[in-house]
Amino acid sequence: MSAIWRIAKATFHEALRRRFLNGILVFAILIIGSSWAFTYLQPGAELKMLIDIGLGAIRFFGMLIAIFVGVRLIPDELEKQTIHTLLAKPVTRAQFLLGKFFGGVATVITNVALMGLAFVIVYTIKAPQFREMSPEEGPTISMEFMAPNILKAIGLTCFELLVLTAIAVVASAIFSWVLASIFSFFIYFVGQMADFLRELASPEHGADTASSIVFGVLYRILPHFEIFDIRESILKDNFVPWSLLGNVTGQAIIYVVIILMIGYLVFNEREV
Amino acid sequence: MEEGQIFGLVGPNGSGKTTTLKLLLGLVFPTSGSGEIFGHPLGSLSYKERIGFVPEGPYFYDHLNAVELLRFYGSLFGMSGTELEDRIEYLLKLVGMWSRRERKTLHYSRGMLQRIGLAQGLINDPDLLLADEPTSGLDPIGAIQIREVLMQLRDEGKTIFLCSHLLKEMESLCDSVAILNKGVVCRQGSMEELLTAENGNYVATFRNLDQDSVQRLQSVAERVDSEGEQYMAAFHDQQSAAAAAKEMVDKGAQLVEIVPQRLTLEEVFIDAVGGIPE
Repeated sequence: MSAIWRIAKATFHEALRRRFLNGILVFAILIIGSSWAFTYLQPGAELKMLIDIGLGAIRFFGMLIAIFVGVRLIPDELEKQTIHTLLAKPVTRAQFLLGKFFGGVATVITNVALMGLAFVIVYTIKAPQFREMSPEEGPTISMEFMAPNILKAIGLTCFELLVLTAIAVVASAIFSWVLASIFSFFIYFVGQMADFLRELASPEHGADTASSIVFGVLYRILPHFEIFDIRESILKDNFVPWSLLGNVTGQAIIYVVIILMIGYLVFNEREV
Repeated sequence: MEEGQIFGLVGPNGSGKTTTLKLLLGLVFPTSGSGEIFGHPLGSLSYKERIGFVPEGPYFYDHLNAVELLRFYGSLFGMSGTELEDRIEYLLKLVGMWSRRERKTLHYSRGMLQRIGLAQGLINDPDLLLADEPTSGLDPIGAIQIREVLMQLRDEGKTIFLCSHLLKEMESLCDSVAILNKGVVCRQGSMEELLTAENGNYVATFRNLDQDSVQRLQSVAERVDSEGEQYMAAFHDQQSAAAAAKEMVDKGAQLVEIVPQRLTLEEVFIDAVGGIPE
């Protein structure tokens, strides 16, 4: 456990120093901050824009960070050969893989937390003007569950990126980092369209046997990233139940465990 | 490998020296055969507590300084507290990096990284040190210092496995050597065995030889060279050298010495790998 912690810590500090990461973070915070500016819209539309842009930016830039950080963690060690001095110590390949993964996850979560903080500040400043709106200014906007739901959405984004980081890290242990990036983007975007895959697999929608099998398999094995997106519930101010959060985070953890196990099986046989 | 010795693995580029080291560390896997270190199969975690590894041209996490780096590697052995801090101070002084310990490794020269590479390889006070070109990139003073450290470690009873193609350095450092060529060990033995001419050549050195004696010596010896007043005659074996020496002494010559002809590691190496390719 100690070796995993030490490697994760070193990975985290190393990753935080990447310039592109700082660039993405600054840009993301600027985008989130810019959601402040939509004052010319109707209050309801303005709030929708604020939530959509803010949480959407956290998810989008979080995705970029997770992929770009994840796919470089192991290839960098291989290129610079720092892996040789590490694996010459009493460190197993499983500990190395987990250390790199947790270090990458810590980097991603730190960045999501900073973006989340920027969004929460913007929301906290803007929210009272929607809450205290007079009937003349527009229809009343229900915001009873909005604030806790926003925190839940940021939490779910962290779990979504946990899955994506695992995919990126493991893909980079198998392929080159370029191929691993393409693979991770592909999985992420296809994983956003799980319902569409189900429709493509459905004979009721005209799928032949081969398509039904291919899309059916893809639907079952790919992560369903859209389940982490609760923006619609936030805008409708529906209470997001803890059971839903438990279910989604549980799925994410199971998925991560399976991906890391596959990664270990491959990496354990890889010559470095 | 003998315990408490410096064992050298030499070979041309691409002969498999680094691959052999990687096999020993479990970084690559054998296609056939097996090996053991301290009785444990290659790649096993059991022996890694007792070994150290110095890579060639090391690169480290460049956001760390020397102390933080050694603390990181030491912690992987479960070291902590005063034990670790004392060890770090000792090693940084040993490799001449104590005064530069606060600088990030990002700003280190290749030679400085090489010194830190040696220090991290010794952090756990290993019984066996595996080193790949440990003096590569060092200036002459640095190379001498590293060689002195390696000899000091041997004197302390440590076993050292060195990979290098710096033959003069290996000749002065190693107790035994294996010459690797195209993945095959083509010559192996103690330095004494390897550098003693294979055909048992002996060289007898004389002074005060008259012209007749020189002619006689040229007729019985393989080769006669002269240097000032001295004549060096090479013989196939010790008996021929002794017989010629007795004859020359009887004729009034002075025998300086009879010694086995000693080759250089470079000569042995070139012979072992089949000469210098055209």
